[in-house]
Amino acid sequence: MDTVLIQAIINGLLLGGVYAAYSAGFSLIFGVMGVVNLAHGELIMLGAFTSYWLFVWFNMDPYITIPFSMAALFVFGYIIQKYIINRVIELPHIMSYILTFGIHLMVANTALQLWTHDFRTITTSYSGANAAFWGLNIPYARLITFFLALVIIGALWFFMSRTETGRAIRATSMDKEVARIMGVNIREIYAITFGIGAAISGLAGTLISPFVIIFPEMGLNYTIIAFCVVVLGGMGYMPGALWGGVILGLAQSLTAAYLSAGISVATTFLILFFMLIFRPAGIVGKGLVA
Amino acid sequence: MHQISTAKTFWLFFIPACIAVALIPLFISSEYTLRVSALVIFWIGMSGCWNIMSGYTGYIDFGPVVYFGIGSYTTAICMTRFGALFFPSAILSGVVSALIALPIGIPTLRLRGAYFAIATFAFAETMKQVALEFDRTFGVKFFEGSHGITLPISGHDNMFFFYCVFAVTLAIVLVHYAIEHSKFGYGLKAIHEAEASAEIAGVNTTGVKLRAYVTSAFFLGILGGIEAYWITYITPADAFSVQKTVQMVIMTLLGGMGTFLGPIVGASFFTLLSEVLGTKFVEYYLIMVGAVIIGIILVLPSGIIGTLKARKGIRFI
Repeated sequence: MDTVLIQAIINGLLLGGVYAAYSAGFSLIFGVMGVVNLAHGELIMLGAFTSYWLFVWFNMDPYITIPFSMAALFVFGYIIQKYIINRVIELPHIMSYILTFGIHLMVANTALQLWTHDFRTITTSYSGANAAFWGLNIPYARLITFFLALVIIGALWFFMSRTETGRAIRATSMDKEVARIMGVNIREIYAITFGIGAAISGLAGTLISPFVIIFPEMGLNYTIIAFCVVVLGGMGYMPGALWGGVILGLAQSLTAAYLSAGISVATTFLILFFMLIFRPAGIVGKGLVA
Repeated sequence: MHQISTAKTFWLFFIPACIAVALIPLFISSEYTLRVSALVIFWIGMSGCWNIMSGYTGYIDFGPVVYFGIGSYTTAICMTRFGALFFPSAILSGVVSALIALPIGIPTLRLRGAYFAIATFAFAETMKQVALEFDRTFGVKFFEGSHGITLPISGHDNMFFFYCVFAVTLAIVLVHYAIEHSKFGYGLKAIHEAEASAEIAGVNTTGVKLRAYVTSAFFLGILGGIEAYWITYITPADAFSVQKTVQMVIMTLLGGMGTFLGPIVGASFFTLLSEVLGTKFVEYYLIMVGAVIIGIILVLPSGIIGTLKARKGIRFI
């Protein structure tokens, strides 16, 4: 097999890991609450910025900032759900889309006011470092992110299936009313779920901070990709984020290598469009269909 | 059930109101005010288009801007490449948008809820990418990609465009009237409340939804063409911008989805609010828009007209 193909596949897989990392939170929130969180990208942005500021002020390595960004984003997400989004959960879903869109506008533009349009990067000693062999290049930072994405999804699955809170969350997503009768405090669970989703997104933001450009408006692009990943993998189905991420990553990488970089973005949306028409439950067929 | 307006009372208010609006340009001396008025009418038309499709049926469309963009590009290409005149180009824009809406609507309208929203959004983004990358990929000179297309300078003043958008918006408002007083409208509302039951009761749900979708696309295409000629320069990022969708949605939501007055009230209020906020608070403008959106959803989820209707005790939306 020629090197271009192998490199494209490796790039695609690593990219897929990154996509999966920051789409898992989106899928969780949709799966449990039916909320399409249009402010998702902002959560990632805040995670990346948390790492950035800790790096700049305290010289912390981005990977060390993980607990801080996760904690900060959990609190942020919890508060937003508890005091804002929880007020619309009894209304038709469009309200939550618009509401989260309003939150997206406020957060992104407040960040813009505070931190300006400037593009920022985190450059560490290992930022550009690759594992280079057999004519292939594998950037270390992306490799670590890929494995941590697997760890995240694994940890999430463990949390959901083995802990009391996880069971409550699963119960709520299966049937809200019955869970309520069983004694689950729905609003509290929603707040915790959103907090967890936010924490994971913040973690993803930290993970990508060593190799992406950080700026306040970066969020929307990530939200759009998270949409695509989650639809491909199946809405609300956690491992689906991995499937969707990898498929999307491979598709983008291969079209970029063999056609053109511009087409790869169009391909993403074409795939999304056809998936929705022909297989809305996602590749593995376990997603929730409205 | 208290019916506020009978047909006669309606026309008694409506016709003078239309005449009054039509006379606005003759009484305004400031170009800026005329421009803002034209903008308000433009957005009434845009959010009206969204209301026809999504407001009445409840199928939330997140990609209406695609037909606006297709309209803009059709007019631009007709006028620059084929030397056509404006009016035929604008009408053609509407027709092209409607023709594209048909094959897209058929598979997409089978989806529900979030999936319909994402599919329409995905289509809009795809078209944006096509307009951006088509020329480069196939080595032709058609969409001009990110260079954008520059239309011939019209030499018309704001008053001309005021009447152009006024004509289209009037048509859209009359379509709303037709919806409120016809079987087609009942069909749309029935689909919103309980689609399966509507199907059983004999409503051709696919046909009705498709009619609404294509009608909306037709008018969006024309509006896109007018906008292209007005601004004289279009790029894929602007013509297919998701911001336009957002504005349409917010205005209709604010006014009241699935109502006759909803788009009118919502678009007027929001456009004027944006103008005021935009000029007074240039840096914080979007933050305030976000806050306004959150405020509306939390306080007035049925929109202004929707909440008024609910309080006056009218049962149907």
